[in-house]
Amino acid sequence: MPEVGSDRRMHDAEERVVGTVPFVLDVRVDGMAHAKAVRSPFPHARIRSVRTDDALAVPGVLLVLTGADLDADPEVNPYYGSPRPDQPALAIGKARYAGEPVAVVVAETAAAAAAAAPLVEVDYEELPHVVDANEAARPGAPVVHDAWPDNGCGSWRVRHGDPDAALASADRVYTGVYHSPSASHVPMEPMVCIADWTGGGLEVWSATQAPHAVREALEKMFAVPPGGVRVRTLNVGGGYGAKTQVKIEPLVACAARAAGRPVRMELARDEVFLTAAKHAATVELTTGVRDDGTIVARRVKVNYNAGAYALSSPIASGQGLTRANGPYTIPNVAIESVATYTNTVPSCPFRGAMTSQLAFAYESQLDDIAADLGMDPLELRRKNLLRDGEVYPTGEVMHDLHYDELLDDLERAIDWGGPPEPAPPGKARGKGIAIMLKNTLTPTRSEARLRLVPDGRVHLDSSTVELGQGSHPTLLQLTADHLGISADRLVRGFPDTAHTPYDTTTSSSRSTHAMGTALERAAADLKRRLRALAADHWGVPAEEVEVADGHVAHPGTGERLPWEGLLAATGTGEVVGEGVFAPDFGLTLLEDPHDVRGRVTVHWHQGGAAAEVEVDLETGRVEVLRMHANCYAGRVVSPLRVRQQNQGCAVFGLGPTLFEELHYQDGTLTNPNLSDYMIPSILDVPAVITSSALEAGDESAELHGVGEMALPAVAPAVANALFAATGTRIDRLPLTPERVLRALGEHDPVKEETG
Amino acid sequence: MTAEPEVADAVPSGSTRTVTLRLNGETRTVEIDQAATLLQVLRDQLGITSARSACGIGVCGACTVLVDGKVTSSCIMLAAQAHDREITTGEGLRLPSGELSAVQRAFVDRGAYQCSFCIPAMVLTVHAALQDPEAGRDVESVREYLAGNLCRCGTYPTILEAVADLVGAEPADGGAA
Repeated sequence: MPEVGSDRRMHDAEERVVGTVPFVLDVRVDGMAHAKAVRSPFPHARIRSVRTDDALAVPGVLLVLTGADLDADPEVNPYYGSPRPDQPALAIGKARYAGEPVAVVVAETAAAAAAAAPLVEVDYEELPHVVDANEAARPGAPVVHDAWPDNGCGSWRVRHGDPDAALASADRVYTGVYHSPSASHVPMEPMVCIADWTGGGLEVWSATQAPHAVREALEKMFAVPPGGVRVRTLNVGGGYGAKTQVKIEPLVACAARAAGRPVRMELARDEVFLTAAKHAATVELTTGVRDDGTIVARRVKVNYNAGAYALSSPIASGQGLTRANGPYTIPNVAIESVATYTNTVPSCPFRGAMTSQLAFAYESQLDDIAADLGMDPLELRRKNLLRDGEVYPTGEVMHDLHYDELLDDLERAIDWGGPPEPAPPGKARGKGIAIMLKNTLTPTRSEARLRLVPDGRVHLDSSTVELGQGSHPTLLQLTADHLGISADRLVRGFPDTAHTPYDTTTSSSRSTHAMGTALERAAADLKRRLRALAADHWGVPAEEVEVADGHVAHPGTGERLPWEGLLAATGTGEVVGEGVFAPDFGLTLLEDPHDVRGRVTVHWHQGGAAAEVEVDLETGRVEVLRMHANCYAGRVVSPLRVRQQNQGCAVFGLGPTLFEELHYQDGTLTNPNLSDYMIPSILDVPAVITSSALEAGDESAELHGVGEMALPAVAPAVANALFAATGTRIDRLPLTPERVLRALGEHDPVKEETG
Repeated sequence: MTAEPEVADAVPSGSTRTVTLRLNGETRTVEIDQAATLLQVLRDQLGITSARSACGIGVCGACTVLVDGKVTSSCIMLAAQAHDREITTGEGLRLPSGELSAVQRAFVDRGAYQCSFCIPAMVLTVHAALQDPEAGRDVESVREYLAGNLCRCGTYPTILEAVADLVGAEPADGGAA
């Protein structure tokens, strides 16, 4: 009975529902002290001096650490960040965004640390600041980092065919500028970390999506040899990209080192807002078409707002480049993708990473083109779809594409051919669809280890993080099938860099494929070793030994032993199988970032969404009545979990579509709390919400990740439905009532009808 | 702008008092900081993990507990105010036999959880909704009750399936795989 295809319940389902499943938030370490950051109130300011006397006088305060202290410490490299180490654990010399930690108070209690933090007096000299990435990219803009005087934080280009000539000779040319603001990931569990040097090395607990990335960063920071830092995580209460790479761990590790005691830091919600955000982006999009709807050329320029520190922006902007073409065959393309430093919260990938901003642009524009040509938007998409055998702007000949099926599914789900339900007076209804294409992080590395132990169970060592996406049961199910045993015989703990092997990150919807493949190889390795052990034991050729059903057998002699029996008979402690998935190609291995050529992904992520909306013409409020989310999955490991990922994309995606936006005033984030910044509640869920995961119908089909496939399509599907309902195009997210009402006023459908 | 609960800062920290509360059916007496929130005392002194801090201002629902049966945000209630009150957390919903409550069972059976950080609070709110004689015993009423419990994973549709099971209604749309 194969495990794949069944909804294996999470082993800790009851504890999840009762509330006893462990998070790092619950971890307490003997003797630990508590840290609270002192944050810059200014978006850009030189730090003249820091006076700590008053803070140190608060009972229970142990120390105050400043950027100057770190700068003066020859044993610490305070800067971290990969690929560009530009971020100090505490601001050194100047603060680059409002909310940046400039000092940290360590105290016996969290209350004492919180009471003392406002008493740290920092003398600042304000500097000119810049919030908007387009302004920051202009000559003469305030410089965020002296080392990058043009504020450049990533620059990529690709050129395919002759876009200039093709645009010049196209029948029609459409140009639009589309803007997506910054947003907050809002994982319900805040960033929380405990660092402890008292055992000799550095031990860290952190709610992170990438424990090995944290380990590597801290090892570099403190010049510790590989393996000298141990990072553990537990269940993580949501990440969505916010807990990728390295976040508060360097600060907590520095504080613990100074204190000589374990130090815990749990961010308050406003601090979570101030730690990481989505890339705001402006997409300039020009598309040339023939009168029959054939797209002949596309020019894209996207500027991602990196915020004050690089995090992954130098590479993430390249991921954006590879996705900007969209899922269409276009013979002449020029794409430029940049990330630009500003004095705002550092940006990092946000579920649907780098792609949502692009899909909002190219899918919105496509419906405008369809309207102008008098074509059905679905037919216009079908006419231009990217299909197997066609060439992508990177030069890759595409395969394993399934957009025809995805569009067919959207068409059925939303009853595309049928008119929307009649709207009540004062309201208008419409339907919209959108699709998206996304690569997955490549190159990356996933290692897995399987250990058969004497009691017959198999330990699965993997650093993939359980974020609630169900990676734990998914990896168990896959491994069980590869080994030919029940998943009940598998044992797996939490990621622990001292014991679970290297994995780049749990993000980019990569784990099911990347870690799944590593485990497939580890299972093959384990079976090969069992075969060899049995062959040696029985004195028969290894190729004659069969490994199945938890047994080794030699049909020729009739010998047959359960695995644990083989271990007992041979006095073997354990048998270990290892597997690695590490593609040797990808974006960061290409020669020239300004002439991107070659394979940039192990496979292409594909998804779509369809929406039916009702627009209140008096108030501008958009209500999503019906939403369908789909993706190509290759093979579905768990129907329930895939459905939850698709529905999760639909619900999560409605936030940045309809109301989520970080607001800055005078360079300061003004809504860093869940009262002024709202995320979708259960009342925002459309009355009808459906989903589909398309399978290849072939047992050898590649598994595709499904965590964020529909999400980038949600905003353009809703915007297109709004356009269908009202004839009004809005090129800026979110689609707030104010914005919709203003746009309706500029283009009043009622007036047009009567006029 | 700050997300710190102002109410907690208003009371000078350091002075202590003793409170007695009935936590999940047990009488517990504990010495608390006057400024401590109920959430802090539950987590730091009473071994509760199901109530969790997420927004700090009583709007996300992750810290939900039942105080005398009523849905309450424990992050904005002072522990001192819980004196002599009946406090129920996710741990306390289990039946005396150790089995899951009907609401907990419905969530487990439907797989109504993802990262699960918000789920125990959702369970408590559904429990309270179904106990409320003034609330309708239907999916729509429970959905209204859940308006103050945020889930960022977007598990709401599965949660509504569990609710539908509990009130004996057909789910609006189970959704295809």
